[in-house]
Amino acid sequence: MSLNGKRILIAKPGLDGHDVGAKIIALALRDAGADVIYTGLRRSPDYIARVAVDEDVDAVGLSILSGSHKELVEETVRCLAELDAGDIHLFVGGTIPSEDHDELRQAGARGIFTAEMALDEVVAAVEADLNA
Amino acid sequence: MSETSRNPRRALSRALTRIANADVAETLAQQSGATTPEMSRIGVTGAPGAGKSTLIARLAKLRKVEEHKIAVLAIDPTSPVSQGSILGDRIRMDSIADDPDIFIRSIPSRRAHDGLTDNTADLLNAMEGHGFDEVILESVGVGQAEYTIRTLVDTVVLVLLPESGDAIQAMKAGILEMADIYVVNKADLPGAELMAAEIAQVAAHQSADDWTPPVISTSRDDPNGFAELDAAITAHTEWRKTHLDETASRRARARYQAQGLLSRRIDEIVDADSSLLDLDPQGLFDALIDKLNPKSRGA
Repeated sequence: MSLNGKRILIAKPGLDGHDVGAKIIALALRDAGADVIYTGLRRSPDYIARVAVDEDVDAVGLSILSGSHKELVEETVRCLAELDAGDIHLFVGGTIPSEDHDELRQAGARGIFTAEMALDEVVAAVEADLNA
Repeated sequence: MSETSRNPRRALSRALTRIANADVAETLAQQSGATTPEMSRIGVTGAPGAGKSTLIARLAKLRKVEEHKIAVLAIDPTSPVSQGSILGDRIRMDSIADDPDIFIRSIPSRRAHDGLTDNTADLLNAMEGHGFDEVILESVGVGQAEYTIRTLVDTVVLVLLPESGDAIQAMKAGILEMADIYVVNKADLPGAELMAAEIAQVAAHQSADDWTPPVISTSRDDPNGFAELDAAITAHTEWRKTHLDETASRRARARYQAQGLLSRRIDEIVDADSSLLDLDPQGLFDALIDKLNPKSRGA
């Protein structure tokens, strides 16, 4: 199994300015064979959804360290649906307390990745999801 | 998830993916034959770090006047190890990122070794069918092999940096003879004037049919340079209308596309049966010719 031929957008919504984690994930996904597009810092959910559509990605990974993950996930899901792109898979990574995971899953996140997870585990989860 | 999305942008986007992933047989089936090229194609090329993406963003903004619809195709290298890629040109196109009228698509170079991507010709043809007036193609900066961009676009813009040796390197690479417009970018750096003067001398020798490639200096804080570049592209587009040998241009594109398709077909054959590669050169050649024959295709 690999991510060959899969297109993935790694996005930083919201106001936090730390993207080392996002870049590491981007490289790990590339090493697994994916074509990875990175948005850069501080993007709005609306912008992220538009890029996801133009780039025709299979998945969007949101990297959020600011604590506003609930709002940002919900808003991104809404913007994607508005563009008829609700079928694009959504993942969230960052500092996400475990008590929020259920709610995020219900909102539409297909995977939640925290700093404790090994990179291999994250890549494997994305692979499994996109090849399902 | 179909191409008949209620969002036309998504339909276009999905169509491009389908073309980018098509195998040779599918690609051929999708080709509708020669079209009348209405869309002008601007190619921007140059070494990595020359500032191509940033320059394209400035340019796209200037060229998007009135109803002029602009698309950007940005090609980034594929890792030969994992076959994956980081498509990062978009980040440098910040200034147009929020403009929904400009369509930007990032594309991995895949197996192509010429600074372009497997299906560039097909992708450009597809853009043509979607009502764009102009497409700006950013090619991965690999130097020597980039002359192929010459065949695929109408106007080649070569972006150079004012660093010592760069002019000589560019001459060696052969791409200096290929450009219609030269840009010395980051012209606030030392050596820029000298560089521009050197290039201008080379360009003077290159002039044909009263088009002498202009040499334009651009730097981030000087809007004049970008306006000059915009005007030069428009001038070249106009010039081309009266001076272009259409037959030669069409044939060159057809040749490039055929070469690309054959090369990809050979990859497909070899990937399906890598033991072919154990044959001696004559044996391998004969086997490939045999398998390229449509009668044995799929056998």
